[in-house]
Amino acid sequence: MVAHFLGLKLRILGNTFRRSPWQLVALIIGLLYGLGVCVVAVLGLIALRLADVETARNVVVIGGSLAVLGFLVVPLVVGVEDTLDPRRFSLFGMRNDTLALSLAVAAFVGVPALVIASVSLSTVATWSRGVGPAVLAVLGAVLVTLTCVLGARVTTSVAALVLATRRARDTTGIVALVALVLISPAASLLANADWGRDTLAIFSAVATTLSWTPLGAAWSVPADAAAGDYGSALLKLLIAVAVVAVLALGWRALVARMLVTPEREARVKVYGGLGLFDRFAATPTGAIAARSLTYWLRDPRYRATLVMIPILPVLLFVPLSIAGVPVEALWLMPLPFMCLFLGWSIHNDVAYDSTAVWLHVASGTRGTADRIGRIVPVALVGIPLVLVGAMLSATFHGDDDVLPSLIGVSSAILFAGIGISSVMSARFPYPAVQPGDSPFKQPQSSGAAAALLQSVSFLVSLLIASPAIVFAALELIEGGDWGLWSLASGVGISVLSVVIGVAWGGRVFERRGPELLAFATRN
Amino acid sequence: MRSTPRGDGAGDAPVSHDAPGIGGVPVVGRASVFQDVPVIDDAPAPERSTTAPEARLPSALPAADAPDAGEHPAEPPVDDGVVLSIEGLRKQFGSTVAVDDIHLDVPTGSFYGIVGPNGAGKTTTLSMVTGLLRPDGGRITVHGVDMWADPVRAKRSIGVLPDRLRLFDRLTGAQLLYYSGILRGLDAATVRQRSSDLIAAFGLEDAVNRLVADYSAGMTKKIALAAAMIHSPRLLVLDEPFESVDPVSAANLIDILQRYVASGGTVVLSSHGMDFVQRVCDHVAIIVTGRVLAAGTMDEVRGGGTLEDRFVQLAGGRKAAEGMEWLHTFSD
Repeated sequence: MVAHFLGLKLRILGNTFRRSPWQLVALIIGLLYGLGVCVVAVLGLIALRLADVETARNVVVIGGSLAVLGFLVVPLVVGVEDTLDPRRFSLFGMRNDTLALSLAVAAFVGVPALVIASVSLSTVATWSRGVGPAVLAVLGAVLVTLTCVLGARVTTSVAALVLATRRARDTTGIVALVALVLISPAASLLANADWGRDTLAIFSAVATTLSWTPLGAAWSVPADAAAGDYGSALLKLLIAVAVVAVLALGWRALVARMLVTPEREARVKVYGGLGLFDRFAATPTGAIAARSLTYWLRDPRYRATLVMIPILPVLLFVPLSIAGVPVEALWLMPLPFMCLFLGWSIHNDVAYDSTAVWLHVASGTRGTADRIGRIVPVALVGIPLVLVGAMLSATFHGDDDVLPSLIGVSSAILFAGIGISSVMSARFPYPAVQPGDSPFKQPQSSGAAAALLQSVSFLVSLLIASPAIVFAALELIEGGDWGLWSLASGVGISVLSVVIGVAWGGRVFERRGPELLAFATRN
Repeated sequence: MRSTPRGDGAGDAPVSHDAPGIGGVPVVGRASVFQDVPVIDDAPAPERSTTAPEARLPSALPAADAPDAGEHPAEPPVDDGVVLSIEGLRKQFGSTVAVDDIHLDVPTGSFYGIVGPNGAGKTTTLSMVTGLLRPDGGRITVHGVDMWADPVRAKRSIGVLPDRLRLFDRLTGAQLLYYSGILRGLDAATVRQRSSDLIAAFGLEDAVNRLVADYSAGMTKKIALAAAMIHSPRLLVLDEPFESVDPVSAANLIDILQRYVASGGTVVLSSHGMDFVQRVCDHVAIIVTGRVLAAGTMDEVRGGGTLEDRFVQLAGGRKAAEGMEWLHTFSD
């Protein structure tokens, strides 16, 4: 039976080459790329034989942990098409254990498994510093390969089992959120480090922590042996074996579960009442606001935006702090940056409706009602963000005098973005991710126009907010009353931007309703 | 081209030529529901009488029975028995002429079917009628209001069921109904009342609290149709309303629509189903390659035969099945 499955897997692999020439070229380039990464990794690991034990351990454990993490997480986030999904064999009436074993063995035939096997085996060269470390390195390599391949099987199956329904695919955004939230403490740790001196110490600390987790245990077994610490080497060996055992048992249980679980099990959630619609006025504006807010909470495309907003400042923080910008100054950056992104995020809102916008057109909805309704969710997030964020930023910055200008700049940027978005989304929609598609999928025809419109919306909102920004800069340089000027101009810009944006955008929306629908139908 | 008499001396009163009255309609299944659903809203002025008790009075319903005492004198409805008038409508996509000089008058109170082969321009025409697609030329008048000159007012009289357009499907059925009603300017109490009536009438009780994205195709049609009716429009424009709707639901919906027509409302629908149109509609237009080839009452258009015969004859006749002899000898 196992042989049958191996044969099947080999045939599937072989058939990937029987495609159109261009697909073949892409496949070969991909393979060469993978091969290149593999060769570099193998050579690097061999070269690490010359490094001292500490350095070699840090590199192997951190790099290796990332590789294991990749095997576990990539199928979850990307949702790999599984050619050997256990459910495809449910009609053949095989014993569960046979099927689980056969599928697991077949999973070792494949490019990723070959790459991780050869890379992990080359750590034998790295640790050829005595019989003990070398033998343990072979054991470690076997465990690493088992962990990766079984782990990928388990997470792929979990993804297939859990993500089969529309609702579940929608929550992939949440999975990404969890992954990113897990990463961000590490990132802030990195951000707070004094990179000039502590680099090596940090690497050591990270490697030590990872070596006690399922990700890094197997990698660090030979390293500890090479350092003479056979006690912890043995403990980590036990951890690694336990991880493989748990994955194997989990895989067996999953196969059993999947065989009796039909694909696309529709478990539909039932909502009571009218939800958010009860909390907004029963006017077109209120209803559109409730609808928008419901979409922000339910639609993965909007949730992806919500997730990105707290992540972005971290992405900004880390490189700047590495570049040596003082931390006090850095604390002034995240809030305006988040506001910029938040206000900008609705600049293509109408395209997100796709053709459902016909309802607004057919009802003769007032343009201002449509515009205000779409602004409400962003304002509901943005206004508390500005107030609380400004206070937190000022506290971390260590000087409360920046509070007025922080509020001024942030609100100016936020509402300038909202105003410009109100006009842009009615006047210049560009193809967006369709409802129901993955938020990480790119629409087929976005191209240069999209990039141009995105940057224009960004730059124009910064330009509109520039008075508040200039006053804030003066406050930082000269002190004095400039902060209050920034606050006053910021509030003024906010009000004006929203009023003008809503009025102008509303007129455009009313005039161009049929054109907006025609655009949505084309894309 | 069409036979409905214009200017029949009825003055401002919209005249229903063929409304057979409630008693003439077969009462099937959920028939009683329609008395609870106010259908015709008679005043095109902004402050429309939408409160439930008033609107549910029978006298508020049929335009044909009640004189237009409640009309605002400033805005006399221009209605000479024709609720929808299409004159010289044209639309071109690139070099393809989708709609080529269509003239059509839809009498008030008629059940009007539009039939035609695939790609004949039915959806394009209906999109322009409902204000969703800008015409290249021509004039559309809904209850005396020019759709493309005063769209906000004209759209008030129309309920729309488009084909192949999305809904806001991350809302539950109940939310979508509420959303449609509020966007149409109804107040919350009216929307709730009418929503529950529509949900009962359409048999959607089990589905209203689930997301529309999880509905089957037929259920989606039903909720969209309910949303199209919630503001009790004078004219319902339905594009392929019964595609993928099961026969039992379709019978219920047809019954609802017939009662709506009986009380003075007008239905314009497009369909591929000739038998269905012949059975249900009292007027019909045959559109082929963007032109109206025949229009009028059902009896006029089909002459002695069936509508299908007439349609096939007008649409270019049957293709002679030559050159397909290989199909008559089997390869095994």
